[in-house]
Amino acid sequence: MPEVPPVSRTLNRRGHAKLAQLCLSGLPFSQVEVDPSRLAVVFYCLGTLDLLGVLDSQVPEAGRIHWREWIWEQQTHGKYGTGFRPSPYMAPEDYKSTHWPPWQLSDDHTEYDVPHLIMTYTALMSLAILRDDFVRLDRAGILRFVRSCQRDDGSFSALPIGGEADLRTTYCAFVICSLLDDWSGMDLDRAIAFIQRCSSYEGGYGQTPDGEALGGTTYCALASLKLAPPTPTSSWGSRVAPAERLRTVRWLSANQSSSGGFSGRTNKIADACYCFWCGASLSMLDAGEAVDTTALASFMHQCQFKFGGIAKAPGERADPYHTYLSLAALALFPPPDADESWQLPPLDPLWNATLDTARWAREHVPAQKRTS
Amino acid sequence: MSAEFEDVLLYAERPEWRDIVPVPQYQGVDALAPINYSPEYQDATDYFRGIIRTGETSERVLALTWDIIKMNPAHYSAWQYRYKTLVTLGEDLAAELHMMDDFAVANMKSYQVWHHRRLLLTALRSLDAARAELAFIARVLQADAKNYHTWSYRQWLLAHFNDDEAGWLWAGERSWVEDLLEKDVRNNSAWHHRFFVVWASGVRKGDEDREAVCRRELAFAKEKIALAPNNPSAWNYLRGVMEQTKTRLAELATFVQLYAVSGASAPPEVMDLDNPVPTEGAQLPSVNALEFLADIYEEEGGDKIPKAVEIWKSLANEHDPMRKKYWEYRIREALQTASA
Repeated sequence: MPEVPPVSRTLNRRGHAKLAQLCLSGLPFSQVEVDPSRLAVVFYCLGTLDLLGVLDSQVPEAGRIHWREWIWEQQTHGKYGTGFRPSPYMAPEDYKSTHWPPWQLSDDHTEYDVPHLIMTYTALMSLAILRDDFVRLDRAGILRFVRSCQRDDGSFSALPIGGEADLRTTYCAFVICSLLDDWSGMDLDRAIAFIQRCSSYEGGYGQTPDGEALGGTTYCALASLKLAPPTPTSSWGSRVAPAERLRTVRWLSANQSSSGGFSGRTNKIADACYCFWCGASLSMLDAGEAVDTTALASFMHQCQFKFGGIAKAPGERADPYHTYLSLAALALFPPPDADESWQLPPLDPLWNATLDTARWAREHVPAQKRTS
Repeated sequence: MSAEFEDVLLYAERPEWRDIVPVPQYQGVDALAPINYSPEYQDATDYFRGIIRTGETSERVLALTWDIIKMNPAHYSAWQYRYKTLVTLGEDLAAELHMMDDFAVANMKSYQVWHHRRLLLTALRSLDAARAELAFIARVLQADAKNYHTWSYRQWLLAHFNDDEAGWLWAGERSWVEDLLEKDVRNNSAWHHRFFVVWASGVRKGDEDREAVCRRELAFAKEKIALAPNNPSAWNYLRGVMEQTKTRLAELATFVQLYAVSGASAPPEVMDLDNPVPTEGAQLPSVNALEFLADIYEEEGGDKIPKAVEIWKSLANEHDPMRKKYWEYRIREALQTASA
C-alpha cells in the first residue's frame, strides 16, 4: 500500500471547478452521446461547484437564474404526468415552454419526447443546488409520472413507455418520493420486493435480478431501502437483516484495493466512482470506519487530471461524473491530517447532496413545508 | 453522380426527402451544456423530428434512424422509433438482429444496443433465435469477458426462456462457464453466472439431487482454490454455496486450514479428494482462508471468539494490513456482540 499520506499534496479545487464550468458552457460533438442524459451531466457539474463552495462566488446571480430557467424548460407535461426530459434534443422549435402553468395545457410533448425518471431526479437535485423556490413544480403531476413508470414486477422504467428498468431507476423513484415527502407515487412493497430480488450471493446487489453484484447498484439498493418509510410489513432493520448486513459490509470492504480506490466488482481494478458508491454504502450500513481514508485520498490524488477534473483511474481523462463522485466520496471520508484544500462540506449519503442543499430541498420541495 | 458521393448528401439535399418538412430543435433560453452538433447530425435529427410529426413508418425511416444511431448510439428516441417501424412494416426481425451484430460488438457499452436486442428476442419468441443469440453473446464476451451489459443480457435471455421446453437451451451453460474459468479463474462474472445457472434459476434437468449438486459445486470451487488460493471469486462462490444449502461454515474447516497456514504442509500420504492441497508455490497463508477460518470461530461463538480475534489481528497487522481498518472493525463488532 502506498504509505505516503496526502498531507503534503493538494486537491486541485480550482481545476475541478474549471472543468465543471467548462462543461456547463458547452460540449464538443464527440460528447453527443450525453445529449439524451444531459441533465445528469448538469447535475454532476453543479454538484461539483456546490461541493467546492464556489457557486455564489464564481457564478453571477444572473447566470444562476438562467440555469434554473433552462432546467424548468425541461419540465414537460402529458398523459403520463409531469417530469423532466434530458434536454430539448427531441423538442421541436415551435415547442411552447412559456405557457403558465404548463400542466393546464394538453400534452406538450410527443411519445418520443416524454419525461425521463433519472432526469427528473437530477433536475430536482440541480434546482435544490441552485436554491430554487420550487414554485413551478407540478407535484401531483410528478407523482403521477412516477406511478406511470412502475411496472408489475415493482421496478421502474426510465420512461413511462419503456426503457431501462433497474436499480438506478428504482433509486431515482425513491429519491423523488422522499424529496416530495409523499409515497403515493409508488407501490412501495412491490418496489422493495424488486430490490431484494437483485441481492446477490456475494453480498452486493446486481443491476437487475440475477445480475452480478455491482457497487453502483448496491448503493442504489441500500439508499432506497433506507429512504423508504416503514410499512406494516417492513422496516430498514428487516429489509437488511443482521447477517445480510455483515455479508454486504464484507463484500464492500473487500472492494477497497491496494491502490486505495474501490472496485465495483470482485477482481476488477479500482475506479474513482466506486469510492463513492461503495464508501457511501458502507456509511449507510454504519460501517464507514472500515474505510481506509488515507489510502482513499491517495488514490483520488492520483486520479486528478493535470488540467482539472478527476478521472476514473490514474492516467485516464477526467469527466464530470467521476469528478463529482470523487469529491462526494472525499466529503464523506475526509483524509486525516490533510491540508485545507481537502476540506469539503458534509454530505447526505442518501440523497447524494451537501447537507445544506439537502436542507434546502427538505424545506422547499414537499407540498407542505415541514418545520424541521 | 456516383453512389459514393450520394452517401454524404445531407437529407436536406436529397430529392427523395423533399416531401418532409425538417423540424429544427427548440432553442429556448441559453442552454446548459449545449452540444456542438455536426452539420450531418443536425440535419438528420431535423428530419427525424419531421418524421415524428408525420408519423411515417417506412423503409426510408429505417435508414434515417440507423444513420442517427450510428452517429449517436445513445439516442433512445431513434431506437424507439426504429423498433416501432420494424414492427409496423412486418420486417424480418431476425435479419435486423443479425444486421446489428457488428454494431453491438463495437458499442457493447451502450445500453440501447442490448435493449434493442431484448425487444427483438421477445418479439421473435423463438428458441432457435435464442440459441443463436447465446452463441453471439459468447463471441462478444471474447472481446471483453467482463462486460456487464452483455452478461446481464445473457442472464435475461436465459431467464426469459426458462421452462421445460427450453431446457436444452441451458444445457451448455455450466461447461461454457468452466471453459471461461479455464482461461481466467478470476473472472468473477463467470463465477456469478455459474451461481445463477446452478442455484438461482430453478433446478436444471439432471440436477434434481441437490445434495449431489452441493458436493459437485463444493468440489469445483475447492479445486479452483487449490489452483489459486488468493482468488476471492472462488471463495465467494464457496460461501454462496454454504449459505444457499444452509451448511455451517465449520464443515469446511479441514479444507480451509490447509490454506490458512504459512507454507505448504507435507503432501498427505493418502490423497484426500474432499480436501485438495494448494498448488506448489502458492502464496500462503491465503487472506481469504484466514478470514474464512475466523468466520468459522465466530459462528461457533463462546470461547472461540478470542481465536477469531487473534486471526483478525494477524490480518490487520501482518497478512492484510491494507484492510487494517476493516479487520479492526470486525474485532470491535464481534466483541460488542459477544458482550451484549
